[in-house]
Amino acid sequence: MKKLPIDSVQYQRPVASPLVEATLGLLREKIREAWHESGQEWNHFAMRGNDSLVTAGMMQEIEQRILASGHRFDWSASISVEERPEIYKPKDGAVGDAENFMFAHPDAPTADADEQGRALRGVGDNVVRHNRDVTGIARYIRSNERVLSYLSEGVPPGTIAVIDDSGGTLTAPIIDQFAGVICAGGTVRSHLGILTREYNIPCVMNAKITGIRDGDTVTIEATAAAKTAEDYQNNVERTARVWLVGEG
Amino acid sequence: MDVRDTVLHGTALKRHSEPSEIAGIVGLPLETVERELARAVETGRAVMHNDRYALTPLTDVALCSRYSLHYGDLRENPAFVQPYEAFERVNVALKQVITDWQTMSVGGKKVANDHSDPDYDAGIIDRLGAVHEQVEPIIKRLAAQLPRLAIFGKKLLAALEAAEDGDHEWVSDIRRESYHTVWFELHEDLLRIMGRERQE
Repeated sequence: MKKLPIDSVQYQRPVASPLVEATLGLLREKIREAWHESGQEWNHFAMRGNDSLVTAGMMQEIEQRILASGHRFDWSASISVEERPEIYKPKDGAVGDAENFMFAHPDAPTADADEQGRALRGVGDNVVRHNRDVTGIARYIRSNERVLSYLSEGVPPGTIAVIDDSGGTLTAPIIDQFAGVICAGGTVRSHLGILTREYNIPCVMNAKITGIRDGDTVTIEATAAAKTAEDYQNNVERTARVWLVGEG
Repeated sequence: MDVRDTVLHGTALKRHSEPSEIAGIVGLPLETVERELARAVETGRAVMHNDRYALTPLTDVALCSRYSLHYGDLRENPAFVQPYEAFERVNVALKQVITDWQTMSVGGKKVANDHSDPDYDAGIIDRLGAVHEQVEPIIKRLAAQLPRLAIFGKKLLAALEAAEDGDHEWVSDIRRESYHTVWFELHEDLLRIMGRERQE
């Protein structure tokens, strides 16, 4: 891969702001790729028209990468937040975590409350069978702010993590403090499945759930049969159920 | 890769670890790592709780944007890409071995392995040894192109030998550099080098 002239500057200090460092890093990455693909000499590539070197599409992709990390931009005029609330820190200064977010999987089986007051809200692949089901408060773990606050203050007892990251990237440092885990991706052999078995924490992977909000009380059918390697090979549906038992 | 990025990279791999563990995985002196981590916390690049460090999200984005600069040549070098692809194939076997270590069939049902059957456990550790025989030459070929990766070979062998000597926590315990812990970190390192995403 070719290096841009600026990539070889010695002794340059990192820029002051993490956001600027990330933005410039992503932009240079894109320019390196474009130059590499062009097959041209630097002078030709850089002078072929400065208005086509950096495109609006490039900047939109950079913004997406930054937002995907969980970052939300500071704002100076409140109209910005009103126009694009999804990319800015919330106006009231609160941590913008998932208050109203919920998974809504189209194939999630649902049912009205049974005689025990449990309303089916979905299913997942049980990583290992436990002796009893587990009930706790559902918390979506989708922001770094929430992970950092759990890291410093501890995870409240009885928390069931609802996540979509089967690598456990975000949750690994605090995983042992959860009462249960519902993961929208992966399989029982995923890293997260291995982690939760190691800690003896009930966990369903590949979960298809709908209508569970942050703060709701839910039950995971941890006593269901675990999904096996053979089940995956033979496309056998073997799932544990997830019930809503109380709204938060 | 310069010292700053090497320390950031080690912090990304070790996820919320102490400076000594980060120094150990990237092969840098402890004082160098401590100095860079202090600077990272000061400038909002990392957070620290109880002497354990983690990158802030934007800094991981910035670091990932520079991998094509540091490792662009390796991504196009067959002498690196071929053993990397071989690692991905062995990785499937490793994950099955670890899953079988953690579970066993009782009356046709998969339950947690309570490690009360020494024969079952010994069989799994044999399979772990077979996986290691497959991965050892792969790591040698990777390290021939990127020498710091040899650290993973040493750590994997140490964990395997400890498990074979009867201390079974070295198979998959998360709080130590068990076989699975080191393997996961090696995989993460390779994915970052190659600019790929984890499949599951």
